[in-house]
Amino acid sequence: MRIFLAEDNLGDVFLIEEALRRQSLECEIDHYATAEEAIRAAELCGETSPVPDLMMLDYNLPRGNGSDILAAASRNPRLAEVPKVIVTSFLQPEEMAHAVKLGVHGVITKPVDFEAFMRDVGAKIAAMLRGGSAKAFGMEGD
Amino acid sequence: MTAGTPTMAVKPAAGPEAKVKLLLVDDDPDNLLALQAILEPLSQELILARNGTEALRMCLDHDFAAILLDVRMPEMDGFETAELIRSRKRSLQTPILFVTAYRSDEQLFRGYNLGAVDFLFKPIVPEILQSKVNVFVELRRSEQLLRRKAEELERTEQRFRAVLEAAPDAMVITNQAGVIELANSGADTLFGFSREALIGCNIHSLLPAWECPEDHPAVSPKPAAEQRLIGYRDDGSTFPAEITRNSFHTAEGLLITTAIRDATDQADAEAKIQKINLELEKRVAERTAELRYSNDALRQFAWAASHDLQEPIRTVVTYSQWLARLMEGRLESKESKMLATIEEHASRLNQLLGALRQYIQVSDSGHHARTRVDCNAVAKAAIWNLQGMIQETGATVDCGPLPTIMALELPLVQLFQNLIGNAIKYRSAAAPVVRISAQEDENGWVFSVQDNGIGIDPKYRDYIFGVFRRLHGSDKSGTGIGLAICRAAAERLGGRIWVESAPGCGSTFRVALPA
Repeated sequence: MRIFLAEDNLGDVFLIEEALRRQSLECEIDHYATAEEAIRAAELCGETSPVPDLMMLDYNLPRGNGSDILAAASRNPRLAEVPKVIVTSFLQPEEMAHAVKLGVHGVITKPVDFEAFMRDVGAKIAAMLRGGSAKAFGMEGD
Repeated sequence: MTAGTPTMAVKPAAGPEAKVKLLLVDDDPDNLLALQAILEPLSQELILARNGTEALRMCLDHDFAAILLDVRMPEMDGFETAELIRSRKRSLQTPILFVTAYRSDEQLFRGYNLGAVDFLFKPIVPEILQSKVNVFVELRRSEQLLRRKAEELERTEQRFRAVLEAAPDAMVITNQAGVIELANSGADTLFGFSREALIGCNIHSLLPAWECPEDHPAVSPKPAAEQRLIGYRDDGSTFPAEITRNSFHTAEGLLITTAIRDATDQADAEAKIQKINLELEKRVAERTAELRYSNDALRQFAWAASHDLQEPIRTVVTYSQWLARLMEGRLESKESKMLATIEEHASRLNQLLGALRQYIQVSDSGHHARTRVDCNAVAKAAIWNLQGMIQETGATVDCGPLPTIMALELPLVQLFQNLIGNAIKYRSAAAPVVRISAQEDENGWVFSVQDNGIGIDPKYRDYIFGVFRRLHGSDKSGTGIGLAICRAAAERLGGRIWVESAPGCGSTFRVALPA
C-alpha cells in the first residue's frame, strides 16, 4: 500500500503513521510538507513516482491548499481512480464544497483526543484502502 | 354790507353740501342788493363786487360757478372786465352772464364773443334769474363731484401705487394673456428693464413658464401657492424666481398680480445644503466602507489566527495525551501532574479557539438570505445537541409553542443552544429547570429562556455579553464567549438580547427578534 500524504504538521504525519500501525496496515508514505511539492508530485505520479493507493491531503498548507493539489491530481489521468481524502482539523463549508467539486471522496476531521485520533482516522484510512469509497464513511464536516 | 366795504361775502348757513360761489358785479349797490335777494333762496355763497377791478380781484381768490356781470359800469365796463377775466387761466372757463338793460345786437355779439354764456335783461325776472343761475350751480356741483371722484380715484391709485412700490418684491399686473399693465420699480430693478419697456410687453418674456392661474379668488380666496420659475433679465441672464399669483376681476376682465422674488440666495443656500448633505452622505459611506473593510479585515485576521493557532494546540493536546499514555505507570505523581496540567491548559486553549471561531462565524456579516425558520425545530435541535449535559445534570427543559420567523437557522440554533446550555451550567443546588417560551409584540417576537439557576447580579447584566467575559472561576467550565455569541447571533438576526435576573432568583434571558 502506498499513501500520498500532503501534510505540513510533522506531528500529524507521526500520528497518522501510528494510526496505520495500529490498524496493522503496511504502508509506504510519500510525504510532502508543502502544497508546491505535493502538486509537482501529483503531476508526475505514474511517471517518475509510483501511483498511490490513497491520497491524503491536509487543507491548509504552505504555498497552496488541498484544493490546489486536487486540481493538479485531476489533470493527471493516472490518479483518476485513486481515492482522495481531505484530512483537516477544520474545514469551512465553502472549502468543503469546493473540494467536493474537485472530486474529493471524503473528509477526515482530525480529532483532538489521542485515542479518538487513533481509532477514527485509522479506521477511515483502512476502509479507504480496503476498497471503500466515499460511501464507506460519507462526507463529514466539523 | 356797509359803505367803505368793497366786498361783501354773504355766507349762508352751512348746508349738507358744499356751497358753490357766485360772483355778482354791479356798480349800483341797490342792484347788487336786488340780485342778492333774488339769489338768496339758492343758498349758495354770494360774493359781491362793485366794479370790474374788484371782480378781477375776487376771481384771483375764488373759483366761481358763475359770474353775473353788469355791462354798464364806470371806469371798466362789463365787457372789458369779462375780457380780463377770460384772460386769466383760473377763470378762463368760468361762465359769465351779462346783465344789461339794452337789447342790442352789437352788445349781444360782443358779449358772446367774449365768452358770455347768457344775457339777462333788466328788469330782471327773479324766477328766470334763479333758474338760469341754478343751472350753473348744478353744473358746478356735478363738476365738483366729478373732481372729487377723480381726486379720490387719484388718491386710491396713488395709494395702490405706493403699496405696489413699497412691496419688497417685484410686482407685475397683467391681463389673462400676460400683457403687463402695471409694474413696480422692483420689477424694473429685478429684470433690468425700464418701466416703459415693461408696460405692454408680455410677462412670458420675463418668466417663460408663467401661467395664468386657473382658480380666481371668486372661487377660492386662498392665495396662490409659491412657484419656482426661471426669470430672464434684459441682459439675457437668468435667475431662480419665486412667484406668487393672485387674480381679481375688473371691468376690463381678469387681472393677475404676480409677485416675483429673486430666489438666488435661497437657491444658493439650498444648493449648499444639498452639497453639504451629499458630502456628509459620501463621508458616512466612506467611513462605513472603511469600517466594514477593517471589520472584515479584523474578522479575517481573527479567523486565520484562531485557525492557525488551533493546529499546534491540537497537536500539543494529542501528544501530551499520547505521552501520558506511553508513560503510564512509569511517571512520578509530580511528573504526571505536570503532564496533566499541560494537557488541561492546551485543551482549554483549544476550546477557547473553537468558541472564538464560532463567534466569528455567527457575527459574520455575509449576505445570507433569511428563510422561514420554525423555532420549535430550532429549540429541538439545540436541546438534542445538549442531550449529554441534560442527562448528566437531570435537567428539565420545557419548551412552549414557538413561532416560525424569518431568520437564519444556524445562528438561531447557536443562540438557543448557548442559552439553554448556560441555564443548565450555572445551576443552583436544585435540579436545573429551563423554560423556553415566546410572546408576540409590535416588533416581532420576544423569546424567553428562564432558569432556576444561581442568577446574575444586575450590575453584570451588560458585562456578561462581552467576549471572554466570565463571572466564575474554574468551578464552572466555560469559555466566556457563549453569551457574546448569543448577542452576535441576535444582532445578526436584527434583534437584541438582554437578561433579567438577581442572584439566587434564577435568570431569564430574553431575545427580541423581528417576525
